[in-house]
Amino acid sequence: MPEGSLRGTLRLLSENHVDFILVGGLAAVLQGVPVSTYDVDIVHSREAANVQRLLSSLATLDAIFRIQPSRRLKPDVSHLTGHGHINLITRLGSLDLLCTIGDGLTYEQLLPYSERMDLEEGLAIRVLRLEKLIELKEQLGSEKDRAMLPLLRRTLEEKRRG
Amino acid sequence: MAVPASIPLTDYSPDGVDLTLIRWFLSLTPAQRLEFHERQMEDILAIRKLNARG
Repeated sequence: MPEGSLRGTLRLLSENHVDFILVGGLAAVLQGVPVSTYDVDIVHSREAANVQRLLSSLATLDAIFRIQPSRRLKPDVSHLTGHGHINLITRLGSLDLLCTIGDGLTYEQLLPYSERMDLEEGLAIRVLRLEKLIELKEQLGSEKDRAMLPLLRRTLEEKRRG
Repeated sequence: MAVPASIPLTDYSPDGVDLTLIRWFLSLTPAQRLEFHERQMEDILAIRKLNARG
């Protein structure tokens, strides 16, 4: 995996003016949760112009579905405007596009629960707040999600304690 | 310098989370967290790749 691949993916999306919110493990990492994650999970705006910008970014990233990679299946508009989760592999690593998360929450609905975060000069992205990440993990209730909850909750407590 | 006996060497929450690790990670900026995480990830992947060779 090339150096700085997580940042590279986020930078490319940002430079192409894709509207998205970073969620999942990397969002937790950026907010101080000491966990490891190997992919970038985002919820994108399904507005038509944004979907085009996202598709263009995916083409630059050589993105294909992780399932049956030998067939090199590429996502299209119908995938990006649906409701599902799109698990991709790109030349910079794994990228999961989530049309909605939790109980069908969209990009627009998640915006109030996100914050802008600077990652480097000229690179700022929106990240889902820890409180909402915890709420969503609690709702999901899978073993994997429940396993992460103690770390998320204790980090939030420590953050609030300052 | 020896650590005074009065200073606790660990701090775990009742559900077993290492709070010292959280506090250290919180002391970094988001950019530093990302940089650390990327470096760590690259190291792990390099070790995995090395050990995957026949």
